[in-house]
Amino acid sequence: MNWFIEIFRTSIGKKIVMAITGLGFSLFLLIHLIGNLTLYGGKELFMSYVEHLHALGPLIHVAEVGLLTFAIIHVVSGLILFWQNLQARPIRYKINKRAGGRTLGSATMPYTGVLILIFVVIHLLNFHFIDHSLQTAFQVISATFSVLPYVVFYTIAVIIVAIHVSHGFWSLFQTLGANHANYMPAIKGFGIIFSLLVAAGFGFIPVYVNFIM
Amino acid sequence: MISKSINLTLKVWRQSRGEKKGHLETYYAKDISVDMSFLEMIDVVNEDLTKIHKEPIAFDHDCREGICGMCGAVVNGRAHGHEKETTLCQLHMRHFSDGATIVIEPWRSRAFPLIKDLVVDRSALDKIIQAGGFISVNAGGAPDANALPIPREVAETAFNAAACIGCGACVAACPNASAMLFVSAKISQLALLPQGRPEGAKRVQAMVRQMDECGFGNCSNETECEVECPKGISILNIARLNREFLKAEFS
Amino acid sequence: MKPDTKLDSKTPDGPLVDKWDRHRFNLKLVNPANKKKFEIIVVGTGLAGASAAATLAELGYHVKNFCIQDSPRRAHSIAAQGGINAAKNYANDGDSAWRLFYDTIKGGDFRAREANVYRLAQLSCNIIDHCVAQGIPFARDYGGFLDNRSFGGAQVSRTFYAKGQTGQQLLLGAYSALMRQVSTGMVKLFPRREMMDLVIVDGKARGIVVRNLITGEIETYDAHAVVLATGGYGNVFNLSTNAMASNVTASFRAYKRGAYFANPCFTQIHPTCIPVHGTFQSKLTLMSESLRNDGRVWVPKKPGDKRLPADIPESERDYYLENKYPSFGNLVPRDVASRNAKEQCDMGKGVGETGLAVYLDFADAIKRNGKSVIAGKYGNLFEMYEKISGDNPYKTPMMIYPAVHYTMGGLWVDYNLMSTIQGLFVLGEANFSDHGANRLGASALMQGLADGYFVIPYTIGGYLAQTSFSKVNVQDSMEFKQGIDDVQKRIEKLLSINGKRTVSEFHRELGLILWDYCGMSRNEEGLLKALSMVKKLRHEFWENVYVPGTGNDLNQSLENAGRVADFLEFGELMINDALARKESCGCHFNTAFQTEENEAKRDDENFCHVAAWEYTGDDQMPTFHKESLSFENVELSQRSYK
Repeated sequence: MNWFIEIFRTSIGKKIVMAITGLGFSLFLLIHLIGNLTLYGGKELFMSYVEHLHALGPLIHVAEVGLLTFAIIHVVSGLILFWQNLQARPIRYKINKRAGGRTLGSATMPYTGVLILIFVVIHLLNFHFIDHSLQTAFQVISATFSVLPYVVFYTIAVIIVAIHVSHGFWSLFQTLGANHANYMPAIKGFGIIFSLLVAAGFGFIPVYVNFIM
Repeated sequence: MISKSINLTLKVWRQSRGEKKGHLETYYAKDISVDMSFLEMIDVVNEDLTKIHKEPIAFDHDCREGICGMCGAVVNGRAHGHEKETTLCQLHMRHFSDGATIVIEPWRSRAFPLIKDLVVDRSALDKIIQAGGFISVNAGGAPDANALPIPREVAETAFNAAACIGCGACVAACPNASAMLFVSAKISQLALLPQGRPEGAKRVQAMVRQMDECGFGNCSNETECEVECPKGISILNIARLNREFLKAEFS
Repeated sequence: MKPDTKLDSKTPDGPLVDKWDRHRFNLKLVNPANKKKFEIIVVGTGLAGASAAATLAELGYHVKNFCIQDSPRRAHSIAAQGGINAAKNYANDGDSAWRLFYDTIKGGDFRAREANVYRLAQLSCNIIDHCVAQGIPFARDYGGFLDNRSFGGAQVSRTFYAKGQTGQQLLLGAYSALMRQVSTGMVKLFPRREMMDLVIVDGKARGIVVRNLITGEIETYDAHAVVLATGGYGNVFNLSTNAMASNVTASFRAYKRGAYFANPCFTQIHPTCIPVHGTFQSKLTLMSESLRNDGRVWVPKKPGDKRLPADIPESERDYYLENKYPSFGNLVPRDVASRNAKEQCDMGKGVGETGLAVYLDFADAIKRNGKSVIAGKYGNLFEMYEKISGDNPYKTPMMIYPAVHYTMGGLWVDYNLMSTIQGLFVLGEANFSDHGANRLGASALMQGLADGYFVIPYTIGGYLAQTSFSKVNVQDSMEFKQGIDDVQKRIEKLLSINGKRTVSEFHRELGLILWDYCGMSRNEEGLLKALSMVKKLRHEFWENVYVPGTGNDLNQSLENAGRVADFLEFGELMINDALARKESCGCHFNTAFQTEENEAKRDDENFCHVAAWEYTGDDQMPTFHKESLSFENVELSQRSYK
């Protein structure tokens, strides 16, 4: 543990922690997305996915605890970094101009991060912390997304996630040192494609459920 | 070369001492030849100020050929101005249009305390080098220079990192005032060359910790530093620094 | 004239090749346990200063190291582009220490000390070894071995380089060695300090007075020996390739305290610089001489021809170097190329807006070899030129003009690099020792590092081991108090004149006088005229200068005023030296002494000596001392480039 704290105290250490947890979330997003895509196949396909998922039993809980731990670490490190970065420049510039390196994603990481946190809490309240004995997962989804404000909310939230990922994905490779002149464009490109997939894949679900299904 | 002159409005940060309050003060720079460098333009303003018995603007500068790293200011929100791979002394007035307003501010970072006007204290960068930015060899004991062949590409990559002039523009340009590009340049140079390997792990650990202690911010891979670096130091060096740090800590 | 007792060069006996070895053996050693009892002040952190400070600390001495900039890494050595010579003979083309020695002596037009130059050539190899071990990324060939190029007309390839930034890389190497010693506590670093005076106690250099450039405080520091590595005085010309802060003050203060100043009129003028654009030009930028390998120098035949270069037909162009020197053409040595450019401009044939430039045309080379070949050779230089001038040299000829670049003169030192003041050592460009009347390309870096890494560590030991020191300290010793007092009075004086003209106006005027009369070519009439002009200007300065601000914080105008005040006095010394040397040699070209081919005509019978000047009081003619040079190993010859 001392060893972990010693590394965590350094700036790069905290960034490594951000990167590893971020990588975890990226993988989770990917799996979550693949699972949710079954919705487009209709109710039966989706419910069979849910059943297969529940069949994993205790593994699900392990994953849940893991995700929660990752979330706490990611949020706490992120907040510390954000706070330290604010302090590193006590007097700001009168004129701020981007040189061309910053992107929408990179410039808004802390803010999109906080919004995602709020979103995740609401999302869990909507779908997770409810009595699953009264209705099936599919019914919950249909019910939620029949409310138009929810559709708008989820669509926006997913776009915010995509913005976060658009910087976070390549950034985590850079932080872990897995970067090289030859494959940096590929990593950056893949990060953008991944974030677009997240935006489109997740973002279209509420619309699909509300208007098409 | 068709020479012409332009007139400019300058808003320059004036602050008599670090602990005093500062403000932007407006000056007019008249008949500035477009062949002048930015610093020569300030020279002219200073000469005019002196003639009316006002105190000239203090600013750091020395070689005026873009290699010593002494000069630097944030010009209209851009470190060393808006030209690519250019130090302030090599920024020429032909890149400004007649009648323009130019806002000139010092490097802003907690690790670079302000001394006066546009002059800041960058000794934090020296401290980082003191922590390990060297190869421990005493004069006298070196083997023949050609005893150790080094692949040309490796030497060139090391050179590209070693081209850092320590001006601090990366810190000034970074939204978090991080010094990672500076540190990564030295780490990369010495990590790439076989002479630097024996101390590699110790070096990266010490330099990163010293960097943190100086009060720089954290790198969030915004890559503004790379764009503003007058010597075009690549952020791939930062990836290498991260890699070196990981290796050192986990072995 | 009697031989000068104070000017004992202490050159060791024996054959040239063994002198340094013997000398090192004869030098007394400081007991390792005693080294830590000695303190050494090193002023300057360029190649010579940083390498000396680091190496002395490695040996166990306590070092106090001062620099004028905010960090030791900014010293002007950083701007050297071309490379560093070493007699490694890696190219297998017949180089040797002996050949490097000979080239340097001949290049210096036989006005340097044989023993010093041979030692320099010997040590050149150790420098490269050490620099590679430090991690300096020199250029390499595909086999991974060090690449060499031929430089400045040398017939062998002995120049090691790191792109066009060799000085930067070497300096950062010395800087990192210095930083390592700072971290061990052996070197104490004092940045943003300007040396204002030397403190002498019992006839020995024992300390310095500095101004803290941030707080304005006048501080004193004591030590057992003082090492000056404060660079050259090219900025006496106002416009030069030197950095803005480069100045003569430290050397000049030492001169006023009794150190002799040697050959001050030897200043090298580099032919390929970017021309002046206007009155407010602050400095000149050098471009590598290698450009002359492919560029053709020309001016319009008709004086005052203001047409664009493209509009001037071939028949109306004067390729004056090719016409005058058919065998060497555009590749004549630096001083010849410089003098001819000025001559053309003086005839009204200069080009550009100011008429102070000549064309360097690459059109033929591009036609012959293709743009990509030329870009491969000079790409970065062309970019630099375009950045500064706004013109594209691929399309329109470059404009170039000579500029002051390096000063061979400096404080007189003996073989141990000690000046005429006991315990005051002088290294690098600040001393006069190795380049005679003209420095070869890629030799300045070599000399700075040889002095710092490999000469001073031995010779200072010899001095410390055999000298007895009285106790001094900055609080109680009268000499230090006096030093502070003198400096403070001078600063108060500068601030209280309250005249009408700015410091830069005086500096510009001084520069123009020296450029016109004590620059590339000189004659007695002009020098005498300049002497009275400089004198007048100096008197006006002390009555009519205006220095804004106060003495107790960062005041760059005040810093400048002090430096220009010293330049004004120093200018006279330069002119006097030029007047006294009634011959031409190397960079010192007196129009009264030239061969039929307009070459510098030496007078070896009467002037084969070092002129060392002793300060005798303000407004007094300094006393001339002569160190005769004897050449036992080379034959004095007259160069010719026709």
